[in-house]
Amino acid sequence: MNKDPIDDKIIELLKHDGTTSNLEISRKLGISEEDVKTRIGNLSETRSKVLIVDDEMDTLLPLKRSLEAGDYIVVEALNGQEALNIVKNQIPDIILLDLMLPGMDGYEVCSRLKNNALTKNIPIIMLTARDDVKDRVKGLEIGADDYVAKPFNLHELKARMKSVLRRSRDM
Amino acid sequence: MIRKWGFVRIRTELIIFFLIIAVVPLSAVVYMSYDYSREAIRDTVMTNLLGATENSGNAIDNWMDVRKDDIRVISRSIEINTEKDELKDYLATYESEYQGVYEEFFLLDIDGNIIFSTLNRTGNAANVPYFTEASKGKLYISDVTLSESNGFPEIILTNPVMKNGTIAGILAARVSMENLYRILEDIDIGKSGEIFIVNKDGDIIFHNNRSRILHKNINNNFAVKEVTYEKNGINEYVNYKGEKVLGSYYWLPLYRWGLVVEKNIDEAYAGVFNLEHRMVSISTFAVIAVILAAIIISRRITGPIKSLEEGATGLLSGNFKPIPVSSSNEIGKLTKIFDDTALELLEIRKKLEAKIDIANKDLEQKNKELIAANEDLKKLDELKSDIISLVSHELKTPLSSIRISAEYLESEAKNDPEVQKEMFGIIIRNIDRLTRLINDILDLSKIDTGKMELQLERVDISEVVDTAIENNKLVSLKKNISITADIPGNISPVLADREKLIIVMNNLLENALKFTPDGGSIVLSAKDDADSIEVRMKDTGIGIEKEKLEKIFDKFYQVDSTSRRKFGGLGLGLSIAGGIIRAHGSEIRVESEIGKGSTFSFRLKKAEK
Repeated sequence: MNKDPIDDKIIELLKHDGTTSNLEISRKLGISEEDVKTRIGNLSETRSKVLIVDDEMDTLLPLKRSLEAGDYIVVEALNGQEALNIVKNQIPDIILLDLMLPGMDGYEVCSRLKNNALTKNIPIIMLTARDDVKDRVKGLEIGADDYVAKPFNLHELKARMKSVLRRSRDM
Repeated sequence: MIRKWGFVRIRTELIIFFLIIAVVPLSAVVYMSYDYSREAIRDTVMTNLLGATENSGNAIDNWMDVRKDDIRVISRSIEINTEKDELKDYLATYESEYQGVYEEFFLLDIDGNIIFSTLNRTGNAANVPYFTEASKGKLYISDVTLSESNGFPEIILTNPVMKNGTIAGILAARVSMENLYRILEDIDIGKSGEIFIVNKDGDIIFHNNRSRILHKNINNNFAVKEVTYEKNGINEYVNYKGEKVLGSYYWLPLYRWGLVVEKNIDEAYAGVFNLEHRMVSISTFAVIAVILAAIIISRRITGPIKSLEEGATGLLSGNFKPIPVSSSNEIGKLTKIFDDTALELLEIRKKLEAKIDIANKDLEQKNKELIAANEDLKKLDELKSDIISLVSHELKTPLSSIRISAEYLESEAKNDPEVQKEMFGIIIRNIDRLTRLINDILDLSKIDTGKMELQLERVDISEVVDTAIENNKLVSLKKNISITADIPGNISPVLADREKLIIVMNNLLENALKFTPDGGSIVLSAKDDADSIEVRMKDTGIGIEKEKLEKIFDKFYQVDSTSRRKFGGLGLGLSIAGGIIRAHGSEIRVESEIGKGSTFSFRLKKAEK
């Protein structure tokens, strides 16, 4: 990892306020917004931050353990509202979103994130025990990047996460 | 409906009928009697007129006979040379006896010289017919002449005065015709009638209107022609004035006079016309009376029929009023029967309408129910797909946990033993969860098919309650809900399947915990009754709407889909609990108040001591 002073400053700014936009950082540091985006992307390239949203602790926990054992930093949320709050503050690289959540359901969370300019680029993979074609289409229509049915193969999930992450970085 | 054309009212028919049977014979009778009477009257008129004429003729004859007798008597009783004064006195008696008849008596010598006159007239009449004719030795009656002295018509009668078998002179008498008027005036000739006497030539020698005398020759008159042919008779004809008259004529042969009496035909036959008028008025009156009678009778006959018709029309249009029975005849009876029948019909109709109404309402209700049932079916269909997806979710979620945990253990087994233990824990817990779920579904199918087998034994209810509380401790602690058991220590044991009863309490408690907000409370209590134990569970939950109370024991039922998302679960708990209690021969009752909480209760039989 190269220790660029500008990168450090960006990290400082982001630590100070997770909601600071690339534009604000670019203004504060006197570099282009595009540059800020690239630098932030490079900074997290080695360990991507993943947000798991699931109300089933028994699903969430082993998944968390498995991803932590891989190259992921894991943040967890037990319901939709909590997930939205976390996304605001910690900006995950990818979100694994269960559909059947108490209160606000996975579709609602997904559509809120995809309708917000700040969060619409965060890739979302939907995890659900409901695997009707109808459900899949609905999920993809409101902006989910991929859809994985429970029970899933962990290797397959990881492969899909990588693929989605790569696609989002290329954009 | 009655067609407009070809419809003849009974009243019209009756009137026509009456007219035919009454007016035609009446007219015939009237006409015949008129005809007969007219002839009779005409005959009478003619006979009367003819009689009067003849009588008058006879009266003239008589009168003239008296005149002739007079002159004969006088001429015999005087001498030609009788003293003039003596003669005058003698003749004066005649003159005074027949007042105004004799105008003058005079004597003529054989040469025609007037030798004596009651009027002291002189002169010669040797060439005058009354002298020459009387000179032949016979009584002579002259034609009518107008008197030289007063202009009245007069005749001169002459008769020879004999002396020793020879004519010594001629006695003449001027007779005024005035007296004839008196005779003829007795004949009724009406206002415009005429009486006249004509001579053989057709000259009027006497006329009731004096001015006409001798002024006219009227032999063109039918009666005058006839009478101058010396005929008697009566006839209708047009007279010399152009008027239609009834004229009777009588020939007086002695004097060669024709007596003619003419009457204006209208006046003559006034009786006939009178009769005609009377007949016309009587028949008109009769016809009018018949028509009126026909109208009245037909109205009386058709009135009730018309009422019947109106009643029937009213009945058809649903506006029936009972028809008053106005007669006691067949129509009256018919009206009565019609009224009764109509009222009966209306009654039946009313009943039918009421029935139809009820049937309609019933149908409407059924339709509503059908729609509701259809709606329910649709919901059920949706529910079915919901349930499939729900069941698959409920099955797949623990499977997923098991799989991820197992995969973790497989790949990362070298890691922390604490984590490994945690993973095993997850696996075991989720296998239990799956087992429970499968048992629930199996129980439910047993309940559904009625194959649930109960292992009945003496069960201490407080032990069951404690077990259920223990099973749910974790959740109650997490939600800070206090669960208290209020059961007397000496409560009687019940006869039940212990394991199943635990499931019941468990499910009820789980349900109560699910729907009671954080910090609430749940009280479980049991009460000893005569032969049963009542178990109650009261919570401070959100409550259940009245309409939904019945449905909460349906399988897969949750109050709505959002509550499913919020509270999770398959909705089998209450259904299973209900089924188990039913298998025990009892029933779970529930009372609830929105926002305050619900109370579930059931009774179980006491175990025998």
